[in-house]
Amino acid sequence: MTNHWIDIQHSDVIIIIGSNAAENHTISMKYVNMAREKGAKLISIDPRFTRSSALSDVYAPMRSGTDIVMIGGIINYALQNNRVHKDYIANSTNGSFLINPGFGFKDGLFTGYNEAKRKYDKKTWGYQLDARGNPKQDKTLKDPNCVYQIMKRHYSRYTPEMVSGITGCPVETFKEIAELYTSTSAPDRVGTIMYAMGTTQHTVGTQNIRSYAMLQLLMGNVGKSGGGINALRGESNVQGSTDMCLLFHILPGYLKTPQPKDVDLAAYIKHYTPKTNDPKSANWWGNYSKYITSLLKAWWGEHAQKDTAGGFAFNYLPKREGWMDHITLFEQMYAGQFEGFLIWGQNPAVGGPNVRKERKALEKLKWLVVADLWETETAAFWKAPDVNPTKINTEVFLLPAASSMEKEGSVTNSGRWAQWRYASIQPGDAGWHGDARPDLWIVDAMFKSLKAEYKKDPGKFGDPILHLNWDYGTGDKVDPHREPDVHKVAREINGYYIKNGKPAGQCISFGKLKDDGSTASGNWLMCGGYVNWSSKEGKRSDTHYVKNEAGEFSNRYARRINEKDEPKVQKLIAAGRTTGLNLNWSWCWPVNRRIIYNRASVDLKGRPFDKDKWVIRWNPNLKGGKGAFEGDVPDGGWAPGTKYPFIMLPEGHARLFAKGLRDGPIPEHYEPVESPFGNENPLSGQAVNPVILQYYKGTKVQRELNPIGKNDKYPIVATTYRLSEHWQAGAMTRNQPWLAELMPDMFAEISRELAEKIGVKNGQKVKVTTARGSVTCYALVTARFRPFDLVDKNGKKIVVHQIGLPWHYGFQGIATGDAANILTSHVGDANTNIPEFKAFLCNVVKA
Amino acid sequence: MKTTINQKGFLIDGTKCIGCRACQIACKQWNELPAEKTEFFGGDGYQNPADLSSKTYTLIKYREVIKKDKLVDWVFHKDQCQHCLEPACVSACIVGALQKTAAGPVVWEDRRCIGCRYCMLACPYNIPKFEWYSINPDIKKCTLCSDRIENGLPPACAKACSTGAITYGSRDELLKEAKKRLKSGPDTYYQHIYGEDEVGGTCVLNISSIPLEEFGYPGNLPKESLSTTTDPAMKSIPGVVIGLGAALGITAFIVNKHKKQLSEESQSQGDQS
Repeated sequence: MTNHWIDIQHSDVIIIIGSNAAENHTISMKYVNMAREKGAKLISIDPRFTRSSALSDVYAPMRSGTDIVMIGGIINYALQNNRVHKDYIANSTNGSFLINPGFGFKDGLFTGYNEAKRKYDKKTWGYQLDARGNPKQDKTLKDPNCVYQIMKRHYSRYTPEMVSGITGCPVETFKEIAELYTSTSAPDRVGTIMYAMGTTQHTVGTQNIRSYAMLQLLMGNVGKSGGGINALRGESNVQGSTDMCLLFHILPGYLKTPQPKDVDLAAYIKHYTPKTNDPKSANWWGNYSKYITSLLKAWWGEHAQKDTAGGFAFNYLPKREGWMDHITLFEQMYAGQFEGFLIWGQNPAVGGPNVRKERKALEKLKWLVVADLWETETAAFWKAPDVNPTKINTEVFLLPAASSMEKEGSVTNSGRWAQWRYASIQPGDAGWHGDARPDLWIVDAMFKSLKAEYKKDPGKFGDPILHLNWDYGTGDKVDPHREPDVHKVAREINGYYIKNGKPAGQCISFGKLKDDGSTASGNWLMCGGYVNWSSKEGKRSDTHYVKNEAGEFSNRYARRINEKDEPKVQKLIAAGRTTGLNLNWSWCWPVNRRIIYNRASVDLKGRPFDKDKWVIRWNPNLKGGKGAFEGDVPDGGWAPGTKYPFIMLPEGHARLFAKGLRDGPIPEHYEPVESPFGNENPLSGQAVNPVILQYYKGTKVQRELNPIGKNDKYPIVATTYRLSEHWQAGAMTRNQPWLAELMPDMFAEISRELAEKIGVKNGQKVKVTTARGSVTCYALVTARFRPFDLVDKNGKKIVVHQIGLPWHYGFQGIATGDAANILTSHVGDANTNIPEFKAFLCNVVKA
Repeated sequence: MKTTINQKGFLIDGTKCIGCRACQIACKQWNELPAEKTEFFGGDGYQNPADLSSKTYTLIKYREVIKKDKLVDWVFHKDQCQHCLEPACVSACIVGALQKTAAGPVVWEDRRCIGCRYCMLACPYNIPKFEWYSINPDIKKCTLCSDRIENGLPPACAKACSTGAITYGSRDELLKEAKKRLKSGPDTYYQHIYGEDEVGGTCVLNISSIPLEEFGYPGNLPKESLSTTTDPAMKSIPGVVIGLGAALGITAFIVNKHKKQLSEESQSQGDQS
């Protein structure tokens, strides 16, 4: 989230799209309700009338996989009717930037497409540059090559009628939400967009999010309280896991994973450090070298010297070639390309896309280690109902893990607040479950065992393991009775100064990190979260005061001061500052900034656009008359107008037009790989995103168990989702009798019209089939799904049915049922390869 | 009408409810109630189980509001004991197992209950439930978490509600708040506070976008307490009452003795293990 949960209460108009916040992020509805009490309107856009729609003022139905049409339609409505925040666009976005005149778009393809390589050459996607190398601009937004005009032309095709024909949303409903949402283009009004996996899990997932962000920029809603672009993360600490690099393409703090062409640290830094000649651009990533060097120092300590292994042990880092995402890993596993697999808190035998192929892939392994609270379907894949255990040679180890309530550490919520959590019970306490161990203990023990093996025989490249800086207070040997010190981990993540090869105090912020080896930091973004104690930090009786053998510290994640108890803050609030920032409750990255891009919420003189709930404002009387921002932590303290607000980009302006993505600089609608329009797209000659990975057209092994269905045999659109009552792949909730009572069985939600057509009544069983497989489950017949009235490429009206299935079920536990992901495929987004779980084709018959 | 000045209760606002059922689970957790075996769904929408029972004191019900064959809304309602100001169940209980406390909750006492089920007949909302499966059956129902209230804690369901759909507080204050909400939301709310006057008023006040009758609640209930009719009715046939009372009294004695024995047994077993 650019903003945070509590801030939702300040919105005037809220869109929930690609999310079912009421069911999956229940706490968010507290703040949605608070906003509604003040007169805010809630728009719910969803294929199905959900528990979120139940609280909405306007419900707009939308066929799965058509977000860009819906949002592109609103963008068109805003541009055609001048319902945009022009000053904001001119000063804070690249709307005024001139694009290479060679850039163009024709029949679904941007310039530079290479059909043979299925890839774009992005030469024409760049800015026109002036003599100093800076982008040319037209602040009047009238130049035909400026981004604003390019967008206006691009989205002119997204008329209300086109939107309706593709999404299935009635024209009047579409116009109603477009009018309502674009009311937030007024400087004193603000809207927010709440989204989740319903947005991302598509072949156009990244562009879906881009379209939301662009709409927010046109409205001038980014940086403001009650605004922003708000990803509701799917698990309590998924933000933390992303920040700490649990993804294949990043290192902690969103640094890039090196590739083979990054031959040494200097080449790598050159590759990833953006440059600008514009003195008004802060270009924060210009500091890249400091963050990577400090990370290498944290990991390899004294072994990371200026001249070791490519510079500061850079070549100890594994380098990746191509995609290493979930789908690719399982394709490789299925092809027999590796023999062992560690799975932590994840259950791909239920949650993975194309479950049949992934369960089969597990059979190809020599060994599998599962660390979990339960014997999940993944741990038990060899005894699934339809497999013969005697034919499977995989050796499975189940490591009993401690639950989140049994571990101490930080949890980073969607709003980037890292909050300290305490263990309710310690290993060895009465009531502790058998041999269960916290993850930290498991990792620590695993690493020490591994290191012992490397000591015996370092093999070809033992240095990265043997030299790793690893001491969390448990000695050299594996000891079941010694827990690693989580505070030591937190101190390392924050980072410290190095003097004479030894830690010499915590760094106070990432501004202090250096690229000369004098600082270490496990994650530059988290620098400032765990610092040395000083009287400025508060009282020693406060929750965040820590004293141990290493000294006195301020564990800012553990701060618990409500702003209501802070008289100074209350004074600012009385003067119009927004409520809920709670700067002394927990700690949030970056540098405790609660609403990011907040410099965009003020004009060039530092005056807030919104005077009633401002985030920051320039106070000329502060700092002895020099002036300073007050309120939230600003995006840099420079005087207003002297630096551009979007400090992470070299051009300092938010990108309405973005060269970085693989599938185009502006979101364009492509149909899901399985579309009810067949091979057609009413908007262009390009049916499907032209640059996605196509394992389904790949080698024989890649094609196996992964066929794509067509609309003649599979005419019904399907999507998957979660329920309030179950959690992810279900192990934690389907083993829980109370929750099993509420949602005992796998079911499919189908419309009354479809039920009548196939002759099935509520509570009877149906068989849902896709090209990959079928599931049998109960039919919940409901008016909350309705058939969509669509218009195909030839202008012919067609009726398309859609169904929905929860994906929580599996064959283990109390509440069991067929896994919905038996139906889904190994097809993913062009930029991330996140699976297209949310839109596919099926057929439904009475079972 | 009796004074309600010190009585606690709920304001349940259906327009804020998301049907997540955190309340339903919190109730089971606090009261240590077992799960029921369910299949598919027990009612409209996601409802489970099918009804309140001696194992389920509160339940979310789901209604699709369809007008001209089109869905216009989906509304959720929390079913539970309404905690009447003058409860008919209490006046129908011949052994005093059901009692109205000064703080508002209508509570029951296992020790006294003889399982006669008069309370079930007396309740206009069909709330008290019988332990049909037990060899030693009692009547069970929501107690408004009387045990928590006595210790200064909000009832478990209210504590678990994240959206403000269940507000716990003094009935008088809640009534004021309910009136305020109805007045400020003429289009949002069906203009009736269910529980303000029904059967003399209840500690649980319900407001919603649709009438509670849509969830099976009786409409047109008298404004007077039913206990004013149950009491004389019971008293008008004194012979039967005395006779029945005596017979039930003996049964109660036997049942309670048996129960005491059982509980001692289970305790001693617990000691051994």
